[in-house]
Amino acid sequence: MSTQDSEGRGVDELLRTAGELPAPPPSPELLRKVGERRAVRTRSRLGGFVVAGLAGLVWPIVILTQSPMRPDLGALPRSWLFGGALVWGLSALAALAFALVPARGDVLPSGPRAARIALASMLALLLFALLGTASVPESLGLAQAHVTLLASSLKCGLYVFLGAAVTLATGALVLRRVLPTGGRRLGVAIGAAGGAAGGFALHFVCPLSVSAHVVFGHVGAVVLAAIAGATLFWALYDR
Amino acid sequence: MLVAALDPLSPPCGGAETGLLESLAGLMDPEALEASEVMARYCRGDAAAFERLYALLAPRILAYLRGLLGDQAAAEDALQLTFLKVHEARGSFVLGANPIPWVYTIAHRTSLDELRKRKRSRVRLTKEGTLGTEPAAHLTGVSAEAQQDREDRPDPAVAARALGALDDLPENQKQALLLTKVHGRSVAEAAMITGSTPGAIKQRAHRAYLTLRQKLGRKRQRDEAPAGPDVVAAGKERR
Repeated sequence: MSTQDSEGRGVDELLRTAGELPAPPPSPELLRKVGERRAVRTRSRLGGFVVAGLAGLVWPIVILTQSPMRPDLGALPRSWLFGGALVWGLSALAALAFALVPARGDVLPSGPRAARIALASMLALLLFALLGTASVPESLGLAQAHVTLLASSLKCGLYVFLGAAVTLATGALVLRRVLPTGGRRLGVAIGAAGGAAGGFALHFVCPLSVSAHVVFGHVGAVVLAAIAGATLFWALYDR
Repeated sequence: MLVAALDPLSPPCGGAETGLLESLAGLMDPEALEASEVMARYCRGDAAAFERLYALLAPRILAYLRGLLGDQAAAEDALQLTFLKVHEARGSFVLGANPIPWVYTIAHRTSLDELRKRKRSRVRLTKEGTLGTEPAAHLTGVSAEAQQDREDRPDPAVAARALGALDDLPENQKQALLLTKVHGRSVAEAAMITGSTPGAIKQRAHRAYLTLRQKLGRKRQRDEAPAGPDVVAAGKERR
């Protein structure tokens, strides 16, 4: 047997012995608290997602009803209009579901898994913005709208953030009771979900059919919402 | 079904979980299944369930906390606090889920709070606003008081010695090693407990394992090497 093998075995043996320690009995304070036993209502796997999902869906519809629709709405191909809405909507739902629904047999949602799905969703949105921005004669370009790329992106970015606010707030409330670790990764997913919900509303509102604007003003704002979510949830749960 | 899904709080633990547990029986190991069943009874307000849950989990949670905090007394306090938090958060448990990784997560958060508290209170002033005298310490860096405390306890035995060997490891490597190699949690579970990614956990656990093996190898060499004149001469030369 080589020295390395014996060292490895030594470490394994050492670690095997470290798994348990004799625990002291529960403290009087703990027993007093536990003594106030009563049946509690437990959480369902889907409950938080349904609540945050409904709030995240209703809010963009509310702000959509308060905003003027894009002028080329009637002229755009229906398939593109609804296909785009589906991409934005599904991105929001997927990121939110993975952030709030624990896997079967788990109590807590998995942060790394949620963050991966959020990144995939943002990538899908980026591809859609780069390759799928449709334009019809009634659509506006930057010059026709008399705005710069920066100014138009800022305006749409604020709209996305407005749409993301409710999802972020409800997500934070839902997770408050669950005591997760790695909140920043869940925050990325919830922020991305909220941003995509805002982008969903913007899809019917923004009159500019310019790829660069959609990439920076819409998808870029979703990325910023994800970063804001990570910061907020880090401050709430990890700090 | 839909109504249940819409309600974030499912009905109080009732008969429904029996079927759920049976359906999960194939997915969980017997230990997780027992913990899940005990947790369900605990949520129902069963008097004996807390004692059973404590007996089932406290020894390993204490060993985990001792490994993270490096101090038996602090680990015992954190254990009580962990179970207090479990009691307060039992409403966020998902029926039929495995509570073990969840309790580890709560313990992990509790230990982080304790470590932060220690960082903040590193310098203590007396009532007069002056620095108090430093407590006497052994050359090992352990305070005389803590050393006395350790000596007063019944022999902490092999587990505590093994845990002591981990004290020099960096915090995140120690967490990864404890969870995967000592407590037998899967990489995914360890990632969820620490709020990290599975890749990072694998890497950290591997690094910690190598460091520990080197340390053990060096210790063995020291123990085996005769302290003859050559060793003394080499020591003088180095100086």
